[in-house]
Amino acid sequence: MKIKLKIEGMHCASCASNTEKSLKKISGIKEASVSLMTKKGIVESDAEINDEELKKAVARVGYKLIGIER
Amino acid sequence: MKMEEMGREHEQSMEINSHHHSEPLEDSEIKSWFKRTVWSWIFTIPIAIFMLSQRLFGISLIPENYLVAVLLILAFPVVFVFGFDTIKGGLRGLFTFYFNMDSLIALGTIVAYLTGIFSFFGIVDDYSGVAGMIMAFFTTGKYVESLARGRAGREIKKLLELGAKNAKIIKGKEEIEIPVIEVKVGDVMIVRPGEKIPTDGTIVKGYSSVDESMITGESLPVDKKVGSNVIGSTVNQDGVLYVKATKVGKDTFLAHIIELVEEAQGTKIPIQKLADKITSIFVPSILVISILTFGAWWFFTNDISRAVGVSVAVLVIACPCALGLATPTALMVGSGMGAKRGILIRKGEAIQTMKEIKIIIFDKTGTITKGRPEVRKLYSTVKESYLLEIASSMERFSEHSIAKAIIEKAKLKKFREVKNFRVLRGKGVEGTMGKNRIIIGNKLLMNENKISLKDFEDKLDNFENQGYTVVIVSSDKKVIGIIGVADNIKEDSARAMALLNVKGYRTIMITGDNERTAKTIANEVGIKEVIANVLPEDKAKKVEELQKHGMVAFVGDGINDAPALKQSNVGIAMGTGTDVAIESGDIVLVKGSLTGVVQAIILSKATFRKIKQNLFWAFAYNTIAIPVAVLGLLHPVIAEIAMALSSITVVVNANLLRRQTI
Repeated sequence: MKIKLKIEGMHCASCASNTEKSLKKISGIKEASVSLMTKKGIVESDAEINDEELKKAVARVGYKLIGIER
Repeated sequence: MKMEEMGREHEQSMEINSHHHSEPLEDSEIKSWFKRTVWSWIFTIPIAIFMLSQRLFGISLIPENYLVAVLLILAFPVVFVFGFDTIKGGLRGLFTFYFNMDSLIALGTIVAYLTGIFSFFGIVDDYSGVAGMIMAFFTTGKYVESLARGRAGREIKKLLELGAKNAKIIKGKEEIEIPVIEVKVGDVMIVRPGEKIPTDGTIVKGYSSVDESMITGESLPVDKKVGSNVIGSTVNQDGVLYVKATKVGKDTFLAHIIELVEEAQGTKIPIQKLADKITSIFVPSILVISILTFGAWWFFTNDISRAVGVSVAVLVIACPCALGLATPTALMVGSGMGAKRGILIRKGEAIQTMKEIKIIIFDKTGTITKGRPEVRKLYSTVKESYLLEIASSMERFSEHSIAKAIIEKAKLKKFREVKNFRVLRGKGVEGTMGKNRIIIGNKLLMNENKISLKDFEDKLDNFENQGYTVVIVSSDKKVIGIIGVADNIKEDSARAMALLNVKGYRTIMITGDNERTAKTIANEVGIKEVIANVLPEDKAKKVEELQKHGMVAFVGDGINDAPALKQSNVGIAMGTGTDVAIESGDIVLVKGSLTGVVQAIILSKATFRKIKQNLFWAFAYNTIAIPVAVLGLLHPVIAEIAMALSSITVVVNANLLRRQTI
C-alpha cells in the first residue's frame, strides 16, 4: 500500500532524511522516501496506518503534514 | 474537527492543489526567506558598521562602554525574531536527537550571542554582533538557495500549471462554461482554435491540427479528425473541435505524467546513499568536533575567547546541505528537462545505471515499427475472398494487431460461425468452422500440428525475404493460403539506431517473427542482431541471458513486454503503449519514438555527471573547510559565508545542466 504525503516546513537535506527516519519508525511502514524538492513523501506499508500516526511522526521532527492521499 | 475529517479535508485540498494550481509552496517559501533577509540586514548593517569601525580601525562611533549593549540589542531580533524558525527547528533537533542543519546554526548563533552577556563579567570577548551577522548571512544564503531551487523545478512547475482552467461544454442546446474539475466523462466540449483542450477525450465532430508539444515534445502539430483521441491541455490550432471527455481529474494523461515525475523525485539514486549516510551522522559529528576544538584551543592557548570563536566557526562552516542537495537538485533539473521533451524518468536509479548499459534490446512491434500492421500480400489456393472470409471470421476473436490487420483487409459484414476457438499465444489461433478444423498461425504452429508446408516453401521464402510476417491459413491440415502482413517502420527508427550504433551499443531486435522476416526488417532499420521466434513469455528470459554479457536496456511497449522491462537493468517503455508496460518502465517515452531512447541516454548520462560533480564539490568543500576552521584560520562570519556559498554553488551547478543539448 502506498500513501502519499505533502509536508510543509522542510528546508534542508537533513530535514528530509530526518522525516524519512521518523516515518520509518511507525510499525508497518516498510519504505519511506521524502523529497525536499517537491515537499512530498511516499510511504509504503503492509499494514493499515492511520493519519494520526503519520502526522505525529512528521511533527516529531518539526514539520507539518498538510496532505494525505491514499 | 476530528482527525479523520481533517485527513479527508486534506485529501481534498491536496487534490485541489494539484488541479487548481494555487500558489505553489516554493513561491511562498522564497517570499518568506526574502522578507527575513531584508529585515535581518536592516539590523545587521549597523552592527557591521559599529563593529568593524571599532575593532578594525579603532574608531568609536558609540562610546565603547555601550557598544556591547548596542550590539546585543541589534542582534537580538536578527537571531531570535527573523531567525526564529531556524532557532526553534535547531533546538528541537538538538533535544530530540533528530539533528539537522539548523541545529548547527542555532547552537553557533546562541553561543555567540551569549558571549555578549558574559562579556559584561569579563569572562569572554563579545561575539554578539557576530551572531547577528552569521544569522543574516545564513538567511541570505537560504533565500538565494530557495531561488535557485525554484528554478531547478521550473519545468515541473510549468507542467503543473499546464492544465486548462475552464471548459465549454454543451448542455442541452446551450454552450456553458464551467471549471475543468466539473467536467464529467461523456460531456461534449467545444474547443475553438487557439484554445486548450480541457481534458482527455475523443473527437466527435470537426477536424483540426493539435499542438501536442507540451506533452510529447513533438514540435509538429498532429492532425486530428472524428474518432481521434486528444490529450487534455494540448492546444487546438485550426478548426473547431467537439470533444467528448473520456478521462477527467486524476485519470488524465497529464495527471499521470505529473504523478510519474513527482514520484521520481522521491526515488533514491545509489550514489546518493553514501551522501545520505554521511548527512545522517554529519551534524552530531560536527557537534563533537566543535566541542573538542573548543577544549583543545582553551587548553593550549588558555584563551577562552579565541576558543569560542574557533568552535563557532566550526559549527557554522560545516554544511550537510550541499551534500544533501547535490543529488535531488540535479535530478529535479534533469527530470524536468526530460519531461519537457516527453522523456519521463520514473526511477532515479536509471540515471546511474544508464552509463553502464552495453546492450539495448528493442521489441519489434510498436517499438521499432508503428504497431499497426497491414495485409500486404496474399497467396491463395482457393478464392482470395474465401481465404479472407475464413481468416477474419477466426481472427475477430483475437486481440492481436495482426488479427486486426486481417479483419481490416477483409472488411466482412457478416462473419462465419466459429466453435471451439482458442488463442495460442505467440503462435496463432484455432477453431472449427462448420465441419472444418481451421488452424491459422505461424510456421511453428503448422509444424506442431504436422501440417505440411512442402509445396509452399518458395512462397514462404519470398514473403519472408520481403520482411512480411507470414500467417498461414489451414483447413483440415491442408494449407489453403498465406497472408503476408507488414508493419511500417517508424520514421525515426533508422536514425536513432544509427546514432546508437555509432555510440557503440550492441543493438538487438527481439520478435516473435521468424528469422528471415526479422532480419529483413533489422537490416532496413540498421539493427545489428536479431533474436527471432521468441514467444512473448520468453522475452524476459532472453534479457536475463544477455545480462551475462553486460547491462541491458529493454525498449518495449506491450503487455507482454512488462516482464522484460522489469528484468532489464533499464526498462524504457513507450508511452504510446499499454499502461502495464508504462508501469514497468524505469523511463517512459511519451512520444513513443526511438530518438527518445537516444535522448534519454544523453540526458541520463549528463544528469549523472552533474550529480557526481555536485557530490564531489560538497565532499571536497567539507573535507577542506572543516579542518581549516578547526585550525582557527577562519573568522566565524567568513565561515558562514563560505557555508552559504557552498550550498548555493551546488544548486546553481545543478541548474547549469540545462546547457546540455539533448
